[in-house]
Amino acid sequence: MSRYRVTVDTGGTFSDFVYLAEATGEVSITKVASTPDDPSRAILQGIETLIARGVSASDIGFFCHGTTVGTNALLEGKGVKTGLLVTEGFRGIYPVAEQARPYGPAIFDVMYDKPQMLVPQSLTGEVAERVDFRGRVLRELDEAALRTTVRGLKGNGIESIAVCLLFSFLHPQHEARVREIIAEEMPGCSISLSSEVLPQIREYYRLSTTVINAYLQPILARYIAQLDRRLSEAGITSRQKYVMQSNGGMATFDGAATRAVTTVLSGPAGGVTAGAYACRMTGLQNLITFDMGGTSCDVALIKDGEPSLAGRGKIEGRDLAVPMMDINTVSAGGGTIARVDRFRALEVGPQSAGAIPGPACYGRGGTEPTITDCNLVLGLLSADNFLGGRMTLDAAKAREAVERVAKPLGMSIEDAAEGIIRIIDVKMEEAIKAISTMRGHDLRDFMLLAFGGAGPLHAGRIARDLGMAGIVVPLYPGVYSAIGLLMSDVKHDYVQSRMTPMSELTPEDVNALFGRLTQQAMDDLAADGFAADQIRVERALDLRYAGQGYEITLPCPAGTMTAAGLADLRKSFDVQHRSMFGHSAPEEPVEVVSYRVRGVGLVPPVELPKFKRAGSTLADAQRETRKVRFDGKTIDCPVYQREKLDVGLVVSGPAVLDQFDCTTVLCPGQVARVDEWKNLIVTTE
Amino acid sequence: MQISAIDLEVVKASLSGIVQEMQNSLFRTGFSTIIRESQDASCALMNTRGEIIAQHVVLPLHIGAFPACTAAVLKEYSGAIAEGDAFIINHPYEGGSPHAPDMCVLTPVFFEGTLFGFCGSIAHKGDIGGPVPGSCSGQAREIFNEGLHLPAVRYQTRHQPNTDVERLIAANSRTPELVLGDMRGQLGSCRLGETRLNELLTKYGRAKVEACCARLFELGEAKVRAAIAEWADGRYEAERFVDDDGVDIGKPVRIHVVAEKKGDRLHFDLTGSADQTKGPANIRPPLVRATIAYCLISMIDPRMYVSSGLLNAYSFDAREGSVVNPCFPAPVNTYNPTITALVDAIFEAMAPIVPHQIRADGSGSRSIIIGGRTTTTGKGYVQYEIIGGGAGARPSKDGVSGTCMNQSNAKIAPVEIIESEFPTRMLRFELIRDSAGPGHHRGGLGIRREYVNLAPARFSIRSTKHVIPPNGFAGGAPGRTGDILINPGHKDEKRLPTRYADYPLKDGDVFRLDTPGGGGYGDALTREPERVLADVREGVVSREAAERNYGVVVDANLTAVDQAATAKRRNDMKAKG
Repeated sequence: MSRYRVTVDTGGTFSDFVYLAEATGEVSITKVASTPDDPSRAILQGIETLIARGVSASDIGFFCHGTTVGTNALLEGKGVKTGLLVTEGFRGIYPVAEQARPYGPAIFDVMYDKPQMLVPQSLTGEVAERVDFRGRVLRELDEAALRTTVRGLKGNGIESIAVCLLFSFLHPQHEARVREIIAEEMPGCSISLSSEVLPQIREYYRLSTTVINAYLQPILARYIAQLDRRLSEAGITSRQKYVMQSNGGMATFDGAATRAVTTVLSGPAGGVTAGAYACRMTGLQNLITFDMGGTSCDVALIKDGEPSLAGRGKIEGRDLAVPMMDINTVSAGGGTIARVDRFRALEVGPQSAGAIPGPACYGRGGTEPTITDCNLVLGLLSADNFLGGRMTLDAAKAREAVERVAKPLGMSIEDAAEGIIRIIDVKMEEAIKAISTMRGHDLRDFMLLAFGGAGPLHAGRIARDLGMAGIVVPLYPGVYSAIGLLMSDVKHDYVQSRMTPMSELTPEDVNALFGRLTQQAMDDLAADGFAADQIRVERALDLRYAGQGYEITLPCPAGTMTAAGLADLRKSFDVQHRSMFGHSAPEEPVEVVSYRVRGVGLVPPVELPKFKRAGSTLADAQRETRKVRFDGKTIDCPVYQREKLDVGLVVSGPAVLDQFDCTTVLCPGQVARVDEWKNLIVTTE
Repeated sequence: MQISAIDLEVVKASLSGIVQEMQNSLFRTGFSTIIRESQDASCALMNTRGEIIAQHVVLPLHIGAFPACTAAVLKEYSGAIAEGDAFIINHPYEGGSPHAPDMCVLTPVFFEGTLFGFCGSIAHKGDIGGPVPGSCSGQAREIFNEGLHLPAVRYQTRHQPNTDVERLIAANSRTPELVLGDMRGQLGSCRLGETRLNELLTKYGRAKVEACCARLFELGEAKVRAAIAEWADGRYEAERFVDDDGVDIGKPVRIHVVAEKKGDRLHFDLTGSADQTKGPANIRPPLVRATIAYCLISMIDPRMYVSSGLLNAYSFDAREGSVVNPCFPAPVNTYNPTITALVDAIFEAMAPIVPHQIRADGSGSRSIIIGGRTTTTGKGYVQYEIIGGGAGARPSKDGVSGTCMNQSNAKIAPVEIIESEFPTRMLRFELIRDSAGPGHHRGGLGIRREYVNLAPARFSIRSTKHVIPPNGFAGGAPGRTGDILINPGHKDEKRLPTRYADYPLKDGDVFRLDTPGGGGYGDALTREPERVLADVREGVVSREAAERNYGVVVDANLTAVDQAATAKRRNDMKAKG
């Protein structure tokens, strides 16, 4: 009996599926139109496709899902009616938020508004209690008053309550008692405690994160329950059913249903996880993932096989402080529009033609030039071979559109198209620099891992301009996020803030705190079904110079912390600070702000299949030769069908490599080698 | 040199990337609460004339400050600037710092041996000496009461710090480690900018980059002028009053604006503004220039690329010896209330011709500064917070509550950070009900922060609109004024003036800061009763105020509007006028 792994990444237009037969390593992919009203319908459709190929549902032993249910509910304001309880006197934390406008146009925009609160003040209650900065109780919890408050909230149709009390990360008992009282007064109400969701200092970020969790949790729980039921009805009985999280790890269905907030920024995490796998597979340790789609481009850095993490992010202006893949997003995609203003200045983006009307060359009514139109004008896209020939691109419409920009600038259509591409490339290059050179990394040590519909089309030029080591284009760049879901482990993150000067810190303190977090990680992973030998625990400390406002997370060595270990950490903090920011202050005192533990439940790894050389030649894969424009010159350029490229073949640029849902472009001087996994490894001669 | 529209966009995107990178570096590495929690700092690139070629705008006033600071360095060191140098300046008269705590660090950028321009950053320092913690005495009578002033001086030579200067600064600050730590962060950010700028110059060549910068100036000016040309010609006038200057308590300070608009020319005549003040309400012309630039960018296009070019699109007259062009050594440390009044007056003056992109008066922002020495180590500390309030209503919607606005954009310091680092405990942090100015669209709500002080300390406040409220526009009512009370509700309750320096707080003293609400827009009696009901339910407006200010009668359960009673009440109110 062969076991199958099935993954599905639900997107706005398509749900991408990957099936992997564990015994043979054979991979197949499919795309099903998404069903936004109930995404589980499209999922079932994809599963049925597999079953129709003769696979028994009971052979599906692993299922992982990248979902946007939580994200969409947040973006569309369709979470549940939520209440909030805060420490008495501190109603202002949520509505004031950061107080500042975000940098950029909002600074000047008198029409700017903060994002609407997910909980109105009328559903916010105050809790008589107070804890100080050492975690000592200044005022006992007034339970009678709390009951009255909770009864007041009841009857408003509230399905979920967020609780965020001051310093609850040091003294969680009050929040725990609040939960008991809510449970008694409002049985069945979903409850999110800040001391559980994010026991971390800085009340507004903790509160915002807890509120988002409360707002989404019932939605996600219902969705997962429904999906679980449908999967069971289809005969999938495996316990290994997972949802992707924004930290790049999976959570079990049950786990995700109780921590909805961890899924909210999970969209691009699959691709980065696949990137980390690509590191192990190809032996390339340092990659920058480059995921360019229709409207935006996501880039992330992987150093020594490990993706960088960030501790805080925003979604539509709302603050979220859970560990997440450190992904930098710019509005740059195939649909990004170029315009000329009345001063004859050219602007590329941030507007996008989106899916409708889409680029002019799609023939769906778009008239403004997009990046895709420019690529077509330059000959980089094949008009008759788009989506494997399922869709024909209208080259005349693309030229017409680009002419709208070319004419007022007094340029030829080709020059304008090439110029627009250069501008969008520079914007993406700046996004890459922001996560690499800015943090002290040398791009010459990194390859650019290109995927998404448009990534491989632009990656060659960008890697060349940035002086990177080269590019990697995986075999299935169009469904790469779903590939990443095959490779993930279960990951749970735990944090505990406790500010202490390092000079006063004893190894015993550190070990006790880490011990408690580690136990929590072990217990949770045991509940997820992992045995002790399948669990790995990673520990880290957030450190800063005393008085500084931004912490650097430094990993701690495994095993018991010693005085010498702490002294080493103090030194590596200076080194890290210097490498990230160009200066350090070894004479300044350092303090610990937070303790972090990550519990990893190791899922048996899969291997993507290796291919044997079949013996075909480059000529067998060549479709045509056509005129393509590179660096201001139009040259004859061979076009290959990527699927027909045999292992071991070497393609020299300039070249265009078409595949079903993606096109790779090699610049003159670049050489692509097809490795044994059929990745394209592109370097410069 | 001819450049294409494409070269221009490519260079522009790269310049934006460089200043963004500098800014991120600065925010991450700043030491003081002001940089790290409030983010009161910004970065820019200048050419050899000191004009801004790129700025990551965090604080709009720095549009005026950078050129003036760079000009001072050029004046002092022209011909003697070498690679590896760094300069500092914080002098409001010699350079363009709004006040002494705003320290500017500048590093020259050389390409192939010739000066190309400067990387700069300005960051507010927690304390730079002077009579009170935080350096800004609301009662200063000359700039010699406002901390240590450095003209343009060399801070590094051949990348080596000038330890003389460092020691001098350290000896003059209550928090020397933080000040030097922040300056180190600023320097790091500038050096990063230098490296990146050199890469850009290598890639595109100096001539092309310079030509692009020149074109960016032209475009900046052209965009502003084109927008101005579309507005109706005429002479537009408005005035505002600042509560007082901190010295002549109770004597309002007039800010008067006449905007003269003809074709694509726009001139602001500020000569009707008050004479320079004894107290620190004065602002220097670089700030006036930046304030006008802020207003124009807001009115024309908030997405506009910011360079010195747009500063050429308008002119202004600020009479020497007036509050907007004071003579040395008039004090300047509390510039924000004056700027706020200037912004409010410009928006009101321009409202007839730019009716959509303006807003009613807001709370402005204020700072509170508590300084002391920790009982354990004896080390000095300065707790510095910047607090906003209610913004004014807009022609199409309500104002924003609990926010910084206009020239100010600081993050509020987290309660948990403040209590962990300073001997203080917060009792209350709320929005203030009924503080918003009523109107068809109402203003935003002000903020209340109430603290109990846990160790003897010295308290200073630099606020605004505690006496004269934020005005409404187009018939909207004013917002509530701000207030600062020591030990409210107790026998020894004391109200401090709008700006006050060095009040001695005892262990256990409580202080409560209320910030103003924003002004309303349009007649409150035309506000839809359902929106008033929603405000009552959300605690924005009390039931009594709904009836008093909006003529809307809400039932006791706050569930419905009494339509008949409302109609009658509104009729009566209209009849009374």
